[in-house]
Amino acid sequence: MSAMDVMIHSSSFLLPCDETSTGTRYALVVLNQSLPRFTPLLWEHAKLRLCADGGANRIYDELPLFFPNEDALAIRNRSNFRKLYKPDVIKGDMDSIRRDVLDFYINLGTKVIDESHDQDTTDLDKCILYIRHSTLNQETSGLQILATGALGGRFDHEAGNLNVLYRYPDTRIVLLSDDCLIQLLPKTHRHEIHIQSSLEGPHCGLIPIGTPSAKTTTSGLQWDLSNTEMRFGGLISTSNLVKEEKITVESDSDLLWTISIKKTGLSIQDHTP
Amino acid sequence: MSAMDVMLHSSSFLLPSNPVDDTTGTRYALIVLNQSLPRFTPLLWEHAKLRLCADGGANRIYDELPLFFPHEDALAIRNRYKPDVIKGDMDSIRRDVLDFYVNLGTKVIDESQDQDTTDLDKCILYIRDSTLNHESSRLHILATGALGGRFDHEAGNLNVLYRYPDTRIVLLSDDCLIQLLPKSHLHEIHIQSSLEGPHCGLIPIGTPSAKTTTSGLKWDLANTEMRFGGLISTSNLVKEEKITVESDSDLLWTISIKKTGLSIEDHTP
Repeated sequence: MSAMDVMIHSSSFLLPCDETSTGTRYALVVLNQSLPRFTPLLWEHAKLRLCADGGANRIYDELPLFFPNEDALAIRNRSNFRKLYKPDVIKGDMDSIRRDVLDFYINLGTKVIDESHDQDTTDLDKCILYIRHSTLNQETSGLQILATGALGGRFDHEAGNLNVLYRYPDTRIVLLSDDCLIQLLPKTHRHEIHIQSSLEGPHCGLIPIGTPSAKTTTSGLQWDLSNTEMRFGGLISTSNLVKEEKITVESDSDLLWTISIKKTGLSIQDHTP
Repeated sequence: MSAMDVMLHSSSFLLPSNPVDDTTGTRYALIVLNQSLPRFTPLLWEHAKLRLCADGGANRIYDELPLFFPHEDALAIRNRYKPDVIKGDMDSIRRDVLDFYVNLGTKVIDESQDQDTTDLDKCILYIRDSTLNHESSRLHILATGALGGRFDHEAGNLNVLYRYPDTRIVLLSDDCLIQLLPKSHLHEIHIQSSLEGPHCGLIPIGTPSAKTTTSGLKWDLANTEMRFGGLISTSNLVKEEKITVESDSDLLWTISIKKTGLSIEDHTP
């Protein structure tokens, strides 16, 4: 086994804030798909919160729905509630965000960065660049970018968002949906993935998107790989299961790691601030 | 340009169904997987000569098809839209749904799940085995519910396109369709512009492409390299009614499906 650096992965962002291991600083990017039910938890963890264009509609419309006790209150109180979940930045070409939503957040002091759309970078791309240039990235502790709404909808959008993981292999980015998370395992490192088994799994997979893998080796899975070849058109590891609390992966190719997120254990009652 | 065979593509399955083409036209099969039904599912059902549900896909037909016909009796709709086959390991299908379709005469094929083949895989194999040889060149398999949900499921379903490059398979959702463009052919894609587009993309999912050339797109490629980690063609736009694609690599073609023009009122049988 080569003396490769180890990269450690842990879904600490799914744990309550007080239980998070120190050191990781989170940024949150909200894209324009339905919010995962644990979005308030991610919001709590994040020191910097961005909405990409129509992602602001989602925060405005859907966050109050996670707090049903607010239903009985007047619209004024719902407005007060929305002030608690104020994005730091709204970035994009502003062709999806509603006028009333934009005005609401501008009045609250959210920074709005309007830019024209171009074919080569997705909204997620632009947000990643903003975060990397921000002061959050200059701090010494590790930065992890959490992104919701990157999956589903149009497939070309989804592919463009997966490509963002490959284009920034030295930035920790996690794509999150209600059903699963996805992160890049760069070939430059050996990976140790610590499983929060009350919150994620058991369904998982390793996907050689972009390039085939001649040799991948794992431990801790139901169907481990052992210098196994993986490629589209042949075998890829899907519908696998995590068997142990620590998974290791080593590969000659950049892989996407994906694991299911459990339906229970992440309800808002567990994590009300 | 090499003298490669041309493969023609057209989303005729989004057009009203025309019984005249039965003997010489495209022979459609439909597979329903376990995600929310696209709003044009009744139209696909009309086109298909063979209709399969993969396990929990049967729940979707049972629960959601009546919702497309709010003025009709749900039981009448369920009787009308009867799958020919329900296939899978039966761990998602509801008991009441299974009983209903068994009583109607739907063939149920129960099998244990294995890590190497998805439900979509198993359904493709069944359809290929049940298609007569002289019809196999005309066979087009339409699949709903292959996208969304767990990403490993979605990736496994995309891999099915790569594993059966000589079978025409189209993955469909409310938002878009995806099909494989094998590198062995020059591709002509005829756009139904009232129903699909303009947003489109070409995705080298499995292997980088050293050279891809297109025509008819807003941002055409000209012997352009595409790879994950670099440029891939997303948020592109169809500009003309015929798109051509030639590549040294198997690509996924994806195009958006318009929100209007496919409502049930346009296509009530």
